[in-house]
Amino acid sequence: MVDQRTLAYINLYAVLGTLENLCELDPAAGALLTNKKPISIGFEIKGGPSATLTFKNGRCRMEQGVGDCDVKLPFSSCEKFNGLLDGTVTPVPSKGFAHIKFLLKEFTPLTDLLAKYMRPNPEDLKDEEFFRISTTLMFYTIAVAIAQIANNDKVGKFTANLIVDGDIEMSIANGPAATLRAKNGRIVALKRAPENPRAIMRFESIQLARDLFDGKINAVATIGTGKITMKGMISMLDNLNRLLDRVAFYLA
Amino acid sequence: MSFKINKYDKSRKAFERAEKVIPSGVYGHLGPAEGCFIPVEAFPIFAEKAEGTYFWDVDGNRFIDYMCAYGPNILGYGDKDVNAAAFEQSKIADCTTSPSFKMVELAELLVDTVKSADWAFFAKNGGDTTTLAIMTARAATRRKKIVFVSGFYHGVAPWTQKLGYPGVMEEEVANNLYIPWNDFEAFEKIVDENEGEIAAFIATPYMHGNFQDNELPADGYWQKVRKLCTQKGIVLIVDDVRCGWRLDLAGSDHYYGFEADLICFCKALANGWNLSALCGKDWLKSAVSGVTYTGSYWLSAVPFAAAIACINKMKKLNLPEVLRKKGLMLTDGLRIAAANNGFNLVVSGEPALFYLRTADKDNNLMLHQEWVAECVKRGVFFTNHHNHFMNAAMTDEDIKFTIEVAEEAYRVLRKNHPEL
Repeated sequence: MVDQRTLAYINLYAVLGTLENLCELDPAAGALLTNKKPISIGFEIKGGPSATLTFKNGRCRMEQGVGDCDVKLPFSSCEKFNGLLDGTVTPVPSKGFAHIKFLLKEFTPLTDLLAKYMRPNPEDLKDEEFFRISTTLMFYTIAVAIAQIANNDKVGKFTANLIVDGDIEMSIANGPAATLRAKNGRIVALKRAPENPRAIMRFESIQLARDLFDGKINAVATIGTGKITMKGMISMLDNLNRLLDRVAFYLA
Repeated sequence: MSFKINKYDKSRKAFERAEKVIPSGVYGHLGPAEGCFIPVEAFPIFAEKAEGTYFWDVDGNRFIDYMCAYGPNILGYGDKDVNAAAFEQSKIADCTTSPSFKMVELAELLVDTVKSADWAFFAKNGGDTTTLAIMTARAATRRKKIVFVSGFYHGVAPWTQKLGYPGVMEEEVANNLYIPWNDFEAFEKIVDENEGEIAAFIATPYMHGNFQDNELPADGYWQKVRKLCTQKGIVLIVDDVRCGWRLDLAGSDHYYGFEADLICFCKALANGWNLSALCGKDWLKSAVSGVTYTGSYWLSAVPFAAAIACINKMKKLNLPEVLRKKGLMLTDGLRIAAANNGFNLVVSGEPALFYLRTADKDNNLMLHQEWVAECVKRGVFFTNHHNHFMNAAMTDEDIKFTIEVAEEAYRVLRKNHPEL
C-alpha cells in the first residue's frame, strides 16, 4: 500500500519541484508567468513536508519551509495534499487572497503544462523536442523521488541504510545529471552531476532512459548490452536500483 | 613483455542472441550485471571449453581462471580422477527410482572427514542446504528468529534476501536480525533482546562478503559465539559453501577451532559435478528427518561418485595446504607488481580465497575496476568485487604469467592516470 506521507514528499519535492526545470526547459512555461513582481506560494502540509515555490522573471525556484511566502496553501493532511495532485482537492489559501488571479491564471496553467509533459500522450512524444523535455523532467522527478523514498518510505529507509556514504551520479549521456548524496542512511538529491562521484550509473541515450522509466526495460538486464554504464561502488548502485523500482510503486 | 589484447566479437554476438530468449542474456553471478563486468567490453561472456586452471571463450581467448566457476573447480577443470569415477558411475546408473548405494558411501566419507558431521543430507545447490539448515533449526527449537551477519550471502531463497528486493515480501524477512561481523557484544545484546526467540545464528567462517575487504575472525570470536549458542539453545550454522574444502578438509569450523551444529557444503564438494550437502550433529538428526525437503535430482548417483573421488584426491594432495601456498605466492607477487608501479594492492581473506582491492584516495573502486579490466583483456580472469579461488591445477608458471600480466595492467593504469 502506498504510504501517503511518502507520496506527499514525492508530490511536493519531486513533482511540483520539477516546475523549476520546466521553466528552464520550455519557453512556453516562462511565458505563462507574466507577473512583474516575484510571487511565492507556500505549501504547508500537516504531518508532512512544506516548501515554497518562488516565481520571478519567468523562472521558478523551490525552497524548503513556508517562511515568508505571499500565498500560503495549508493542507490538513498528506492525503489532502495528494488530492491536489490528482485533482480531487481544491486548495484554499490561508494567506494571499490578493494573488488568487496568479494562482488561477498563471500557476494552474503552469501545472497543467507540467502534467502534459509528465503524463504525455503518445502522439506528443513523437515530437523530438517534446520527448526531450518530457524525459528530462521525468529524470529530475525520479531523482528527487528516490531521495524522498529513501528518507520516508519504510522499505526505502531499509534500503537507504545499506548504502555507504558518498555521491552517486545518475545521468543520461549528453543530457541531464543528478547527484544522489548518501550520508548516514539518508539521501539528498541535487539536480547536477557530482564533482567526485563514488558510483556512476549513466544511461547511453535519452531513449534508453525513457524506456527504463516507462518500465519497458530493466536496468539489470540492460547492463550486459553496455547501454547502461555502471562503475565505482556497485553496491551503492545495486541499492539505488531497488529505490528506483520503488519509484514506480509511487508514481505509476 | 606485451600481452595480446583479447577481442570478444563472438561473445558479443552470442550475447545478442541470448538476450532475446534469456532474461538478462546471462542472469546471476556468471552474467555481466551481477558479475560486475566493468566495463562489459573487457570481459568474455560465453566459454567454449575448460581444462585444468584455464577456460577458453567462444572467441578462442584463453584465461587463467581465478574464479574457478565461483568455487566448484578445486582440482582443475575436467580432473581425470573425478571424471573417471563419474563416467564409470554413469554407465551403471544415475537418476533412478531407488537411490544408488553411492549415497551411503559418500555420507560415510563425509562423516569420517568432516569433524562436526554425524550425518549428511544431499541436495544440489548451496542455497538448498542453507534453507534446509534454517528449517531444521526452526523445527528443532520451535523458534522463528535468525541472526545474520551484515553483508551476508547465503543464497537466493526469499529468506536470504532483504526488504526491498524485487519479489521479496516483508513477511519473508520479518524474522531476520542483523549484527556486524566479529562483534560478539552485538551478538550477546541481540540474544538478550530476543531471549528464547532465536532459532539460529548463520554465518560464513570468515567475512568474505562482496564489495569489502574480507575479514578473518578475531581471536576467540567463534569460541565465544559457540559457547553462547550452546547456553541459549541457538543452532550454530556455518555456511561453508564458499570456503568449504579450501581451508580444511575437516570443515572450516575445524580450521577456526570450534564445532558448528550444522554445516553447509556445495561448490568444491565434487569438483563441478552438481551436488551439495548439509552435515550436522546427531542431536539435530531427528529434526532434519522431519523436514519435508527433496528434489528431482538430489539423489542422483553420478555426482556422489564424483564427490567420493574428489574428497579422496583432496585428502591425498593435502589440498588446503597446497592452495594456501599457491595463494600466498600469487598474492605476494601481485602486491609487488602494484608497488612497482606506485599502487597499493590490498589483499584480504584467506590465501586460497583471496580478495583484491587496489586502494585509491577516493575509495570508489574505479581504479581497481580499471586494473581488473586490463588483466581480463590479457587473459587473467579476475573479478572486481568478489573473492577469488585457487585450484590444484594452477602451476607456478601460471602464477608467474599472472603476475606479469598484473604488472603490465598496472603500467597501463599509471600511463592512463598521470595525475595519481
